[in-house]
Amino acid sequence: MGRPLILVGSITNAIKSRNILARAGIHSNVERIPRSNANRGCGYCIYVPVRTDEAEIILLRYGVPVSGRAERGDTE
Amino acid sequence: MIYLDNAATTYPKPNSVRTAVETALRKYGANPGRAGHNMSLASAEEIYRCRTAAADFFHAPGPECVAFTINCTHALNYVLKGFLRPGDHVVTSCLEHNAVARPLHALTQMGVAVTKAQVYPGDHDATVNAFRRAICAETRLIICTHASNVWGIRLPVERIAALGHEYRIPIAVDCAQSAGMLPIDMADSRIDYLCIAGHKGLYGPMGTGLLVTANGSGLATLVEGGTGTNSAEEEQPEAMPERMESGTQNMPGIAGLRAGIEFVRARGTSRIFQHEMELVQYLYRRLSRLPNIRFYTAEPDPRYFVPVLSFNVGDLPSETVGRKLNEHGIAVRSGLHCAPDAHRFYGTLEQGAVRICPSAFTRKEEMEQLVRVLASIQ
Repeated sequence: MGRPLILVGSITNAIKSRNILARAGIHSNVERIPRSNANRGCGYCIYVPVRTDEAEIILLRYGVPVSGRAERGDTE
Repeated sequence: MIYLDNAATTYPKPNSVRTAVETALRKYGANPGRAGHNMSLASAEEIYRCRTAAADFFHAPGPECVAFTINCTHALNYVLKGFLRPGDHVVTSCLEHNAVARPLHALTQMGVAVTKAQVYPGDHDATVNAFRRAICAETRLIICTHASNVWGIRLPVERIAALGHEYRIPIAVDCAQSAGMLPIDMADSRIDYLCIAGHKGLYGPMGTGLLVTANGSGLATLVEGGTGTNSAEEEQPEAMPERMESGTQNMPGIAGLRAGIEFVRARGTSRIFQHEMELVQYLYRRLSRLPNIRFYTAEPDPRYFVPVLSFNVGDLPSETVGRKLNEHGIAVRSGLHCAPDAHRFYGTLEQGAVRICPSAFTRKEEMEQLVRVLASIQ
């Protein structure tokens, strides 16, 4: 299983998400999405190593536009 | 030099602003919001700190509601041209700067109708009623200045916002002269669009401005381009703030603006206002004793004015007075201040006026020196 990522689009949303989760005691890091694609292109996500599902629910509750989840392998 | 042209741009800047700009040039040299390397992310964090500082300062719903622009004019154009369509009607005031008046004039060429509501200095009830009378069935937007950049006259924008919302009409406010000077609470006032200059009362560098709104996604864009997000799509992103921020940001300017906002917050908006208002009131009383000084407004009352004072010296062209003051090392602004409507209001379109605006750093002795020099050029 790779590193769990929550896709949030912009760097603004990513930093905001990290700060929201920090207040909830959930550690996360701001990162680029692992691969740009032909549908959407590049953007930002947050890497949430633990409590990822809970983190996503919290972000949605705060109105952060979560666009999906992804995983990144160690070799990516 | 005695610098009294702070209504155009505040000078000097606080040391913290200069330090923040220098630090940004040294430490945050990569594009924010574009890459994933450490310096790009550090730059983005600094940008985000400014967004947060601005959102907190103006009580905006969140940092994503803060879009950086190059100045207040830029923000006003975003709102006016992004919102209005042919057939729409807009209400504005009779005291507007060209930052509002010229975009509106351009829009009239495309079928937008404009009504200029009369402002009654010292009578907020009458001003609000004038706006009420100007509203019609086609009115889509109210846009007005918070304070005249020529006469310092305040408009009761919170009451005008409440009036607009009675009719479901949003309001945009030109806060060029008021941000950092008057309390502006988006949450309480329900102002829909705040257009702000970074280089005036917020003590940031030139080339910085803000559009603060929760409704940015509903505005058509004037500029499209790279945002660092959704790059494969041809459409400009809908989400704020990226929708309004194409291309590389003014990183050093925004870092300086963040420090400027923190300076104002630490010193206190009301304290800065009181300091400057006392200086302007002192100046008004001292100049009143000179025979040739021609005032157009009453002594500034803090309920109805911000600390900006314009006058003339007899029939001398205002530019002549400005030039003579400059020869004595005093920097003021003369002429029409890019606000012909405001000059039309008091009949000074021909002569212009001499404008004085102190800052948080202005001292009473500097006002006294100004009075001495003005007395010598009677």
